[in-house]
Amino acid sequence: MMHFKIPLLSFIFITFIKCVSPQNDFFDEELMLKPLPSNHVYAYFQFTTVWETTKDVTTFQHSHLFPRGLGEIISRHNVDELHLTLTKGLWHYQKWGYPYHDAGPGAEITTWFHKDVKNVDDEWKGLTNALAGLFCASLNFVNPANSVSPEYTFRPTGVVDRPGGVVDSVNSSHLRYSSLPREIVCTENLTPFKKLLPCDSKKGLATLLNSAYIHNTNYHSIGIHFRVICSNAICTKTSLELRQSVSLIYDTVTDVSQDWSIRKFFGMGIRKACPLATLSNIYIDISSNNTNQIYELVPSPSAKIVSLRGGQLNEIAVYDIRSHSSKGIFNIQVLYNTTHTAGLNYPSILYANRYIIGYGQERGSLVTKIYNNYWQTLDIILLESIPWYLPVYLHSVTITCGTKNIIPLAQRYLPGKERKSPYYLEFILRLPPQSVTKFSIEMDYSFLKWQEYPPDANHGFYMGPAIITALLPIARNYTALPLDGSTITSSFNASREGYLVQLRTESLLISLPTPDFSMPYNVICLACTAVALAFGPLHNISTKRLVLKRVEMDWKEKLLSFLMKKIVKPKKKEE
Amino acid sequence: MKKQWLSNFILAGIIRFLLMNSEYQKVISDRVEVSTALNSWKRVTEGVYLYNCGIDPYTGDLFHETPIGLYVFNFIQQHLSQWILFCLFVFTDLLTAVFLGLTAKQYATELVSKQKVEEKLCNENKETRNDASIVYTSMMYVSAGYLFNPYIILNCVGHTTTVFTNLLYSIALVSMTRSIFWNCLSISLLTLQGLYPVSLIVPAIIYITHSSSIKREKNIMNYVIVFASIITTLFGISYYIMGSWSFLWSTLGFILTVPDLRPNVGLYWYFFTEVFEHFRWLFIASFQINVSLLYIVPLALRLRHDPMLLAFSYLAITAIFKSYPCIGDVGFYMSLLPLWKHLFQYTQQGFIVGCFMLFCTVFAPTVWYQWIYSRSANANFYFGVTLAFAIAQIFLLTDILFASVKHEFAVRHGINKDISGNTAKLLLE
Repeated sequence: MMHFKIPLLSFIFITFIKCVSPQNDFFDEELMLKPLPSNHVYAYFQFTTVWETTKDVTTFQHSHLFPRGLGEIISRHNVDELHLTLTKGLWHYQKWGYPYHDAGPGAEITTWFHKDVKNVDDEWKGLTNALAGLFCASLNFVNPANSVSPEYTFRPTGVVDRPGGVVDSVNSSHLRYSSLPREIVCTENLTPFKKLLPCDSKKGLATLLNSAYIHNTNYHSIGIHFRVICSNAICTKTSLELRQSVSLIYDTVTDVSQDWSIRKFFGMGIRKACPLATLSNIYIDISSNNTNQIYELVPSPSAKIVSLRGGQLNEIAVYDIRSHSSKGIFNIQVLYNTTHTAGLNYPSILYANRYIIGYGQERGSLVTKIYNNYWQTLDIILLESIPWYLPVYLHSVTITCGTKNIIPLAQRYLPGKERKSPYYLEFILRLPPQSVTKFSIEMDYSFLKWQEYPPDANHGFYMGPAIITALLPIARNYTALPLDGSTITSSFNASREGYLVQLRTESLLISLPTPDFSMPYNVICLACTAVALAFGPLHNISTKRLVLKRVEMDWKEKLLSFLMKKIVKPKKKEE
Repeated sequence: MKKQWLSNFILAGIIRFLLMNSEYQKVISDRVEVSTALNSWKRVTEGVYLYNCGIDPYTGDLFHETPIGLYVFNFIQQHLSQWILFCLFVFTDLLTAVFLGLTAKQYATELVSKQKVEEKLCNENKETRNDASIVYTSMMYVSAGYLFNPYIILNCVGHTTTVFTNLLYSIALVSMTRSIFWNCLSISLLTLQGLYPVSLIVPAIIYITHSSSIKREKNIMNYVIVFASIITTLFGISYYIMGSWSFLWSTLGFILTVPDLRPNVGLYWYFFTEVFEHFRWLFIASFQINVSLLYIVPLALRLRHDPMLLAFSYLAITAIFKSYPCIGDVGFYMSLLPLWKHLFQYTQQGFIVGCFMLFCTVFAPTVWYQWIYSRSANANFYFGVTLAFAIAQIFLLTDILFASVKHEFAVRHGINKDISGNTAKLLLE
């Protein structure tokens, strides 16, 4: 009897708590494993907390599933939307398709402040410093000199108060974007990240996040995405949504066998679902199965879903962790029947790369190449945020496609200011079908003060990525969640009019000319000597007068002249 | 006579034009010795482009010309083709040479008449000279010194705005005795653009005091009023063009606070790269006082009988110590050297200075290449060269000034250096 009673009682108790508790929130944990055609496996964790409440000052004084530390920062700085990613490695769009969240190398942060915020720069500084403490990342190096407010690239993804129903009232003056490409992401960022989860890393999918395995990947990126969403269809009520994501790319090419499993990737199987989670699923994209690769899943999935989205058909195996882990730790294996074969790669329809041309440390050109593989024109937004120490010349911008010049549909430019603001450039371009468009701009390399160089100055300076934003007409290789969705589940069968991607190009390493750091004193002395060399004679000339003076001989000359006289005199006498 | 004069100009024009059309034009205009943050044509192009895009060019780092300059260059870039632009640069340079020639003529005439007075006083009858030929040679040498000065040629080929600044300088010099209005206008334009040339009003005022003794005070007052009103008007026009005072910080503020540390032939760049942050403002203040204020009064008192030499010293001091000097500034005052042909017999360091200049000119591009491109040298090498260049110029200036003092002495007391049969030497006391 007791066997039945306790679960029943606890069930009633929990339901009671849920009804009574004002905390109307839920938590989902999901993991998507997607074998990529290049024989890499893309693992994407998403932990979603949705809290049906309004965002005001008192909201975050009590929180249930929502991390209170982050909540307090958000409410103190009146943040409407926050995206923070910490990334190591470069996402290869051609090979890997599009990720769930695009993230540039290093740290990247985008924030929309509430429209009532008066001094956005102050709040921005406070926010980044607080987040630096929360995530042990060097976000405190974010300052106005490396932040921009792009007009086109970023739009709020959540609900925005629109006074009077004006549609385009979004003001980019309340937006800040900054990227710190030099930031190195490691364990010390992952630990605080896991602590924000309701189950910490003790239960659920978060137990798989072991830093030794995660930081061994080809690409890893952790992200925090906070926004306000509608909680009903007509949007009379709002919810706060926090998505914590971890994107990993595992390499199965180099191993002897192509087989992979959860245990191989994360070092351990899954023990239990997080008890606080409503949804606790693992998905495996098995669309590539039975093409030229044949593999089987062990154990077999709880369910299979067919997702048709924007012309792309995906078959997804779903594992419900609760049902599978009832017998203890469980592992999912993917066993290949074939030897190493590469999957079929349907190239992504839009990708880009970027590089510097020119030699020497005096000047160069920044080139961004954008590839359009689609049969129609594509409209894109190109955002370049160039650090102030690389002054660029707007008049030298050339945008060519083959031999044809492309005229941007719109253009925004704010010249940079030394030590104050970066060069901000935004273009809307229409890419011709099946084309490579080349954007280039000339730049100078600045000479900085000796204390402005980082340690190991000859290593060079990093320059953040360019961001290319586009609304793709088809969803080939597309994974990201739709704007109205919160969980991975919502991306299945989610056909929309367009699919938003924000590609990040490579971050670049630029070696600026360096002074000799060892000789400040010498330089000061030598330059001052030159000044003194002018001052002395000019002072003499202007204050003294010329006089004729008899030349006083010293004792040597006297002796000499005396001797000379002695010798010369007798001769004269003889004459 | 005229034939030679004309052939000089044609030859100089051809040299400039050929170099401008060669592949070296870009190399020359990219050189740090030629183009600085203040005068580079690329930056002017950028500023004009931004202005036409509706972006205030002064919000950025790249443009530091005056709003009036912006307006003029906007006109030039929009309406003139590449060829006409080349011709404009060459023509401006040739015009500068003409004005310098006229300045030389005037000065030489002045000098000859002065010497005649002195000879009358001394009752000495030396060998008879041909005054006309003295005037002519001085004129010829000065203009040729400008036309064939390699620094000036590079400056012109590099399309720097110093070409126009030099024209204004030459107008200021030639109008010093002739026209108050043109003198004031050119000096105020120069002041608006480069701040330091404001010192040129001192020799101009001295010239006024020399000319007429009756209405001296009135004339000086007149000059000051004209200058003040012109410069106020120019600031007003600048404000009218831009609609705000933001340009002040990007032009005069940029000159005074030295935020751009790109190497040039001056002393500032490496000094302010390396100086300890704590002392930055102290040194900026002292360097700026050194170049703009310190020598004005002492030199003016000392050289009050020779305002042209005073103007020359101001020009030289500015070219050596200003915050963003270029070889166009150096070349300008160097082409004035033939004015002091009568002082050359008293100079002592001509050879050293010549060697220094030659070596610096050769070494600067070499060590620059080694530092920036092959990375086998470092910044100290280039700093050494600019330091030597500055010191050579200082030697040149002080040598000329010493020579003028000696010349003055010699005119008064004869060149004989004996005191009652014993050898003696000239000393400053």
